[in-house]
Amino acid sequence: MATATVKPVRLNLVEGEAQAQSPTQRVIKRFVRHRAAMFGLVVLIGVLAYIIVGSFIFTEAQANYNDTSIRLQAPSAEHPFGTDRIGRDILARTIYGGQISLMIGFLAVVVEVGLGTAVGAIAGYYGGWIDAILMRITEAMLSIPSLLLLLVMAKFFAGKFAPIPFFGRTLSGSVIIIILILGLTSWMSLARIVRSNVLSIKETEFVLAAKALGVPNWRIIINHILPNTLASIIVSLTLGVATAILTEAYVSFLGLGVQSPTASWGNMLTEAQEFTVIKNAPWYWFFPSLLILLTVLSINFVGDGLRDAFDPRSDNKV
Amino acid sequence: MGRYIIRRLLQAIPLVLFVSLTIFTLLQATGDPLATMGGRSPTKSEDKARLRRQLGLDKPLLEQYLYWLIGNDWAKFDRDGDGIAEAPGTRYGVLRGDFGTSIVTKRPAMEIIVDRLPNTLLLMVTAEIITLFFALIIGVISAVKQYSIFDNVLSGFSFITFSMPIFLVGFGLLYIFAVKFREWGLPYLPTGGIFDPQEGRSVSQLALHMILPVATITIISVAGYSRYVRSNMLEVINSDYIRTARAKGLTERSILYRHAFKNAALPLATLIGLDLPFLLGGAVVTERIFAWPGTGRLFLDHLELLDYSVLMGLLMLITVAVVIFQLLTDLMYTWLDPRIRYS
Amino acid sequence: MKRRLLLVLTLMLALSLVVAPTLAQDRKVVTVSYTQEPLTLNPLYVTQWFATNVIDMLLTPPWFIDDQQQAVPVQVTEIPSVENGGISEDGTVITLKLRDDLKWSDGEPLTSADYVFTYEMIMADGNTVSSRDPWETKVASVTAPDATTVVITFNESFAPWLTALFTASPAMPEHTLRPIFDAEGTLDAAEWNKTVNPGSGSFILNEWETGSFLSLVPNENSFAGTPKLNEVFFRILADDGTSQNAALTTGDADIGVFLTAGDAVELEGAGLVISQVASGYNEGWYLNVNPDTAHPAMLDVNVRKALVMAFNRQQIVDDLLFGKTRVATSYWDGSQYVRPDAKPYDYNPEEAAAMLDAAGWVDSNGDGTRDKDGTELVLRFIASQRQIRKDVQAVVQQAFAEIGVGVETSNYDNFFDTYGEGGPMSTGQYDIGEYSGSSQFPDPNTADFLCSEIPSDENPEGANWIGYCNEELDALFQEQLKTTDPAARVALFQQIDQIIFDEAVWVGVWYDADLWATNARVIDAKYSGADPFWNAVNWDVSS
Repeated sequence: MATATVKPVRLNLVEGEAQAQSPTQRVIKRFVRHRAAMFGLVVLIGVLAYIIVGSFIFTEAQANYNDTSIRLQAPSAEHPFGTDRIGRDILARTIYGGQISLMIGFLAVVVEVGLGTAVGAIAGYYGGWIDAILMRITEAMLSIPSLLLLLVMAKFFAGKFAPIPFFGRTLSGSVIIIILILGLTSWMSLARIVRSNVLSIKETEFVLAAKALGVPNWRIIINHILPNTLASIIVSLTLGVATAILTEAYVSFLGLGVQSPTASWGNMLTEAQEFTVIKNAPWYWFFPSLLILLTVLSINFVGDGLRDAFDPRSDNKV
Repeated sequence: MGRYIIRRLLQAIPLVLFVSLTIFTLLQATGDPLATMGGRSPTKSEDKARLRRQLGLDKPLLEQYLYWLIGNDWAKFDRDGDGIAEAPGTRYGVLRGDFGTSIVTKRPAMEIIVDRLPNTLLLMVTAEIITLFFALIIGVISAVKQYSIFDNVLSGFSFITFSMPIFLVGFGLLYIFAVKFREWGLPYLPTGGIFDPQEGRSVSQLALHMILPVATITIISVAGYSRYVRSNMLEVINSDYIRTARAKGLTERSILYRHAFKNAALPLATLIGLDLPFLLGGAVVTERIFAWPGTGRLFLDHLELLDYSVLMGLLMLITVAVVIFQLLTDLMYTWLDPRIRYS
Repeated sequence: MKRRLLLVLTLMLALSLVVAPTLAQDRKVVTVSYTQEPLTLNPLYVTQWFATNVIDMLLTPPWFIDDQQQAVPVQVTEIPSVENGGISEDGTVITLKLRDDLKWSDGEPLTSADYVFTYEMIMADGNTVSSRDPWETKVASVTAPDATTVVITFNESFAPWLTALFTASPAMPEHTLRPIFDAEGTLDAAEWNKTVNPGSGSFILNEWETGSFLSLVPNENSFAGTPKLNEVFFRILADDGTSQNAALTTGDADIGVFLTAGDAVELEGAGLVISQVASGYNEGWYLNVNPDTAHPAMLDVNVRKALVMAFNRQQIVDDLLFGKTRVATSYWDGSQYVRPDAKPYDYNPEEAAAMLDAAGWVDSNGDGTRDKDGTELVLRFIASQRQIRKDVQAVVQQAFAEIGVGVETSNYDNFFDTYGEGGPMSTGQYDIGEYSGSSQFPDPNTADFLCSEIPSDENPEGANWIGYCNEELDALFQEQLKTTDPAARVALFQQIDQIIFDEAVWVGVWYDADLWATNARVIDAKYSGADPFWNAVNWDVSS
């Protein structure tokens, strides 16, 4: 049960001297000091609350209920965000669309982090020809422009996945596809970062000691090495969600993302592309855009704050 | 140094081949170019069968890849589509510089790409230069005046533009400056294209039509770059040797611009060097919105048609450029930073 | 001496004051907005609509189909018929009598030899032409007994000759292309494919800036009259909802096509003239009646009629299409082949419910959906990825739920794939399929309802995706294919239309004519569904 964490040491110094804190506490303290990050956190929680609470107020049936006679109506008391092209309530659709967008963002990052960490850790730890091959593959994938690769993969997988039930909702196969391809095209930079972290940790004493004690390799990786690369992973994870949400919007804009009738913020914007709508129904694209902006912005702030919080040198500032 | 370069280039070859095979397989597996060929009047089945044989699309994947790579002038192909290969091949293959012909326009793939390349470079290089200009200014001033109002406002603003989907910016600019301004009688910008056909391809026309797309790309990219410059500058400003320079009594200005800036610029140079080859791919979304005839749009159009010669040609061009630029960037880094040496 | 000089100078000045304004008069230029770039300009290699339109202005066919769907002679002196000897009694020999003043744009005469050459090129090995239909299977020979006569001999009487002969593949210049073909063995890479120089149209290609625009200018040697315009531009814009409309609104483009209904409303508001051009397309429901793949309820004609009557098509037209079109009455709506007094089924959900009750489909287990013999009435409603169809699917799903019919919707990228390719329509994985289909417009012939075209392992390219087999209908179709007399053919199709309507196997949703927008300054532009730019030579602009 050997672990690498050191219990916090209490030094009985001169009274009034600050006591040494655990690394985690220091990180949290630095994060809280970062004003933009706190602002981002608050906004993010707000968006999550909007979506979660909203799902209890509106049922999915209400979000899909259409009445073409009230199509493209401006915001009113009955429909605070207006109605869309076939008379569905936009407020309700942004709630359910938000579930999808956030889910895509989060799950895509799970794929990205899972793949990137695995590749980076294995390459860094084992070294040799395993490292060489994995790194060459990583470089190869980095050489291809990501948006172009994304488009080719989107076309490749199109129509190959059936709709799946998920927590009471039925999601079209295109949701799986976009999660898959977003993850498959973004793991590379994390792999390189994890690998270089692993390389530097590999030679430390407690790892060498663990090896000498006969702890199996996989356990060393999971229990010792990965926890120390956590900082990079967490920052990458956070910023990755923002990128995933934005990329989903792009790919949907180009017609290859989430397909109707499943709503996502990205494909609501695609629906709003028609000239009539841009001119006469600004609410159609305003609200999904605002939500994307707020979400991505706050995630970026939080990610920035986390990065500064994990960086011990930032203690010198302010 | 010479050996290092050669070793890198040799290592790059299997990488490029691997990429080409992967993309080739992906594209072939994505669908059938003949299925989309007809447009409004779908191709008849006898014609599809004949075309498939004439264009060599009925051969197994690896055989098609081989022909793509080294040509088929050493083999026979089925010129009349009757199922029997009788005519000598005419393709030389990519390794000898022949990227094949487009399935749909019958023109050489490289010719099609090279036709569009200048337009893309014009747009992307201009955007890159303007982006760098603003990014440097914003990044340096933000770092020097850290946590001031200027820093906070600019940082906030760049975060916002960083977080917006590019097509919103594009459509917004298009709608306001091209459509609305014209409606309101103000001087307006064109709605799209690279130049007005009636005016001809003059410098002023190009400049006029470049304003909106370049603005779109710049607005989105400045944010990322300026944050990078800012954090590098901050790191350098807080470092020991700058503190020493201050202690020595050098003026703030001299410190900033002779020492700090040069050292902060180095990682930025790396970033630019690594980004440059991707400029060849154009800005897919921006080119689409503004109907700019560049390689990004070329890719989109030919992806619809599954015209793999053109798609492969473009992707391989970028991949090779990436490999070369990565090497160049590493070499430049060595030259600029004497602490780094490669064996 | 000095005075005379002064007089001459004054005269010159006066003259220049008169001439200068005339010279400064604006050139007559029309700009067409295109959302796709033509792939190539050689008609043998392309069927792309955007390409064939431009080709129509550069190469003339024997005749055009005008905006009234009538044939107008261009290279021939008259349209062949039995009366003038152009068609033989048994309909197997068609003779084209060419005008004797035909010329290529380089001045060379255009003769029947060019027609024979074109036929040779279509059939030549080495040319990867996009289609050899009908030449390969239906035509026995093409000969030129003299310079102004072309004789085409068919294997058997072929009714669609008017729209299938040399209209998709107009005559190409032998004197320019034969040397290329002889030297390279193929025309695939010929420079002529990009320039069409020499051509036979009223325009010639002036410039083609790839990805950007094409510029056409009048052909000085045009035998069909000189165009009134000085130049026609085809500007290539983005295929999104906005660029074309922005260009049309600001006047950067004068003519735009394939507008959505919403676009049409906007542009009309901006002062453009909107025209509906019949192109043979009608958006319709294809109801699966193949006993192997369809829901058992679909096999009952009364159930099918009930489904149609529960579908408020007028509401779709009014709300989703801004009233810019109407409910389609027939597969051939927009042409002369529609049955007389054609009216769509009424919208009557109460009667629809009653008909379903009468057919035995009632909600016996109280779950909200009708059922019979243990099978729930849940139908698969599929379409392609187009937004308007997804909207219709959502509306129909809700409307049908109200009368107890369950609907599962799906959308496919590979919607139009054949049985061999595993497409959802062709393999019968649906009950209601919606798309915009057409006959071989402007010819009314279609394979969609023939028994022999039902897809199967033996027949993977079959086009009868609804799996409908009716011997009486088949006989009528066989007969019309051999009927070269236009009036008799119309009568046959009217019978065909009536059967399809009564059987409710194809139901019209909306009349899917193309919507064009034209700037009010363009005069005399009449668009034909088959040959849109057939009268480009007459286009003019007001000053």
